[in-house]
Amino acid sequence: MAIDTTIYVRPQSGISAYLDWLQMLTGAGLILFMWSHMILVASVNFGVDAMNTIAKFFEDSYMAQVGGPMIGLTFLLHFALAARKVPFRTEQQSTMWKHGKMLHHKDTWLWVVQAVTAMIILIMGAIHMWTVLTDLPITAQKSAARIQGGFWLVFYLILLPMVELHVGIGFYRIAVKWGFIKRKTRQGFKGFENILTLIFIAIGLITIVRFILIQVIQV
Amino acid sequence: METIYTDLLSIGAGLAGERVAVEAAVAGFDTICLSIVPPRRSHSSAAQGGMQASLGNCAMGQGDNPDVHFQDTVKGSDWGCDQEVARMFAETAPIAVREMAFWGIPWNRVVPGKSTYYKGGKQFEKVEAKEKEGLITARDFGGTAKWRTCYTSDGTGHTLLYTMDNKAVEAGVRVHDRMEAISLIHDGETCMGAVARCMKTGKLRVYLAKATLIATGGYGRIYRETTNAVINDGSGAIIALDTGIVPIGNPEAIQFHPTGIVPTHILVTEGCRGDGGTLLDVDEKRFMHEYEPTKAELASRDVVSRWMTHHIRQGKGVPSPYGNHLWLDIRHLGADHIKTKLREVEEICNNFLGVDPITQLIPVRPAQHYTMAGVRTNKDGAAYGLKGLFSAGEAACWDMHGFNRLGGNSLAETIVAGRIVGIKLVEFLKGYEVKFNTQAIKDRVAIDKERIERLVGCKDGRENVYAVRNAMQDQLMDKVGIFRNGKDLQSAVDNLQVIYERSKKVGLHSNGIGASPELSLAIKIQGMLRLALCVAHGACVRTESRGCHAREDFPERNDGDWLKRTLATWKEGDVLPTLNYEPVTKVIELPPGDRGYGSTKIIS
Amino acid sequence: MTRRLTFNIFRYNPQDPESVPHTDNFVLEEAERMTLYIALTKIREEQDHSLTFDFCCRAGICGACAMVINGRPGLACKTLTKDLPDEITLMPLPVFKLVGDLSVDTGTWFSAMNEKVESWVHTNKKMDPTVQEERMNNALAEEIYELERCVECGCCVAACGTANMRQDFLGAVALNRIARFIMDPRDERTEKEYFEVVGTDEGIFGCMGLLACEDVCPKQLPLQDQLGILRRQMGWTAVKQLFHIAK
Repeated sequence: MAIDTTIYVRPQSGISAYLDWLQMLTGAGLILFMWSHMILVASVNFGVDAMNTIAKFFEDSYMAQVGGPMIGLTFLLHFALAARKVPFRTEQQSTMWKHGKMLHHKDTWLWVVQAVTAMIILIMGAIHMWTVLTDLPITAQKSAARIQGGFWLVFYLILLPMVELHVGIGFYRIAVKWGFIKRKTRQGFKGFENILTLIFIAIGLITIVRFILIQVIQV
Repeated sequence: METIYTDLLSIGAGLAGERVAVEAAVAGFDTICLSIVPPRRSHSSAAQGGMQASLGNCAMGQGDNPDVHFQDTVKGSDWGCDQEVARMFAETAPIAVREMAFWGIPWNRVVPGKSTYYKGGKQFEKVEAKEKEGLITARDFGGTAKWRTCYTSDGTGHTLLYTMDNKAVEAGVRVHDRMEAISLIHDGETCMGAVARCMKTGKLRVYLAKATLIATGGYGRIYRETTNAVINDGSGAIIALDTGIVPIGNPEAIQFHPTGIVPTHILVTEGCRGDGGTLLDVDEKRFMHEYEPTKAELASRDVVSRWMTHHIRQGKGVPSPYGNHLWLDIRHLGADHIKTKLREVEEICNNFLGVDPITQLIPVRPAQHYTMAGVRTNKDGAAYGLKGLFSAGEAACWDMHGFNRLGGNSLAETIVAGRIVGIKLVEFLKGYEVKFNTQAIKDRVAIDKERIERLVGCKDGRENVYAVRNAMQDQLMDKVGIFRNGKDLQSAVDNLQVIYERSKKVGLHSNGIGASPELSLAIKIQGMLRLALCVAHGACVRTESRGCHAREDFPERNDGDWLKRTLATWKEGDVLPTLNYEPVTKVIELPPGDRGYGSTKIIS
Repeated sequence: MTRRLTFNIFRYNPQDPESVPHTDNFVLEEAERMTLYIALTKIREEQDHSLTFDFCCRAGICGACAMVINGRPGLACKTLTKDLPDEITLMPLPVFKLVGDLSVDTGTWFSAMNEKVESWVHTNKKMDPTVQEERMNNALAEEIYELERCVECGCCVAACGTANMRQDFLGAVALNRIARFIMDPRDERTEKEYFEVVGTDEGIFGCMGLLACEDVCPKQLPLQDQLGILRRQMGWTAVKQLFHIAK
């Protein structure tokens, strides 16, 4: 807290509050989206047709064509909102880094993880979205072909844990910040959230393996 | 020299100082408090038990009124108090409590219905009245006829101090923290302010004021073992004494507490013994019943302290790296009782001793606790001898405590005296103008600068200030403590005089630049010794036992010769204080009688 | 067997042009029931008279002795050496201005904070000394006391990532203080007035929820819970303001 050296009249506005609401709502929306997304993609584990049927449904209903860019915008908006809190100046970054190292405090490190994963997701997520949305329709075969190319395998092996970590921590953070969990329930919730993150990473890995195993019909 | 002018300069920003300051600031006067710590760290916060006020809301306080409170206070003081002041105090206490409620104290309130309480190890039941629901309640504290101690859970002093400082911030009182007054500026008749040293930068600053208030708390830290905060080293009393004019009232009136934990001397409540806790010696055997067959551990605070000291002297103490101590045993009270009724005791033991009182013994010994003594003032809080100088709270000898203070009356005094003195001080300020004598200011600053230069430059020697202080503390603790006798007291006076000479040769071992804790102590070490000599000499001359002043060689209270108050002043260049005496009270409402604290002899 | 403790203590006197920030090592024999108060006092009196640190009540009540103990902000008086390893590293609290060595200027910071959040009961009523006090439910009094227990030690601020990065952040201590007054019926401030104080990025919306404040608070104040409640309250006030129904 800075000590006021000048007397000034604070402009009366709730701008910080509205931005914080938006940050939370976009975050919560993206969490729900990511969970659904993972479950939908994982449908490939029940067979190529299962995934294709679901993908077709989303395209026929234009949810992919409209929803996709919407998610993209939400994704960018969420980044812009959350970035207000992330240090970009070297001085602040080094303060935060030193602070984290001094404190030995898990939740503080989790925030550093959130900030770092955010940067990676911004780039990789954008690439992923661009690639998928400019190459509709989505089919299991096309996804499998991409992954089997090698480059995308590495790409998704990086992106997957980044996203799941960010989503898991974000989920916990929203619950804490908005008082949905209390002191008494915090440790339990944290455990639950960790397991959830691990489960989603596991599903993701299984799905990637599944894509590798799909026989791709060479066109 | 940086000079700051104000209407009221309060030296000290604890409860008493801030309460006076609030009164002045609300009346429109410019007010500055100096504090050696941020105001909310003042020692007032440590008074956890509560403050007495005869509201009479709780079941066990029914029928209470200021008359009963007055009588308890006078009896408690062993008739050493000023009865006019005690009367004003008892009458104002309920108003002060309500005022604090108005300002935001979350006082505990009456909850109607049945509940249980412990006394003497036994459980009793009480029923709170429905019509009193939500009014300020009270708890029991030693030495009172009624339950009268208003409280907020286990942090009464803390909430009072925070609320008072909130009020001070609201009223525009400016607090200059880490600023220690090192001398008063006066011309022999009028006090004009103080010279202070900044404890962040080490720089000196002059504060000029129409009125100066000393509210620096007690001087427990001249004793080796004390429950007081480390800041209670008597700096206010020292600068008053250094004027050569202002007297310290009853310097020998010092209270001890039986159960300070070893080594830090944080006190654990007497509730431990009240609930059935026992004291054990080196053989883990009880001993209090041998000295006090009927009351044993439940005897009053001073009696228990005396027998504990006696028992340690008999070689029954438990040796430790911090000296001998005894054990307090509450294990048999059981985990349930300890975890609920004595929760703070459990926390203190866990946090500050690493001891689990449910399964382990608590190391305790008596420690200095309260300074009834202080800057002698009249009933308006105006100090004797200098116009424009006032004092309030534990720093003052106002004098409502006489030779023994009741539990809960210390916290009450801070805000009650603060209120009364505040009102009187505002009256004073309204009709008062002062001429600042620039020569007196210049001379004072020159003296203080020179003092500091001599200390930093080791011009008078290189005596280790800590060694000197420790030597002084040992003398007071061992010879001017709980039990006193002529031989020891005289030996203490003689030794303190030698140590006083040593204190004049103190020189810094560090460079003294900036905050310098060593310099801070070195500046006041001579003053501390003068104060110590007032205590020892005053105690030596007072050949009677009264309240906390317990002479083995004069066990009777002697109203014929000693129903009077000591006034100690220090003339420059002297090696002993000058002791004068005055009658304890002009108005006698309650004639001297038996305190009802057990068998005592009284010579009338 | 008694341990020999090594204290690595940060040293710097900003008033001394010759002083440079560095670490000094002091060795001390551990004694039973030793707290950092006992240890540091001993070091100052026996080894280095210039060592600067703050203690006041030494009983965990006043909050003066907060410092960074082996990486964690905490009250030194409340820290027993037996709970620490042989090597103890002591640093002054970050965020606050350094006075010297382990001593920092919390006074200036907190008095500014108290002015900023107007930490007092706002009322238009006049105190009448002749009438009985207003009644209050005891359970409510105890709830208020629970938040009032804060000792302004500064640990929550020093442990806060946001406060470390951003000078203007109020910190958990200020937010807890406001929560205390919101709870108190004697304070007549409206939700809009509270919102003006803490409904900003300097206040509750600047909090990133790292919860270090909750985890280091030596008084175990329910900071996590209070910050959550406050964010919701201020969030709703903002929504109500949008529809012009905020009081």
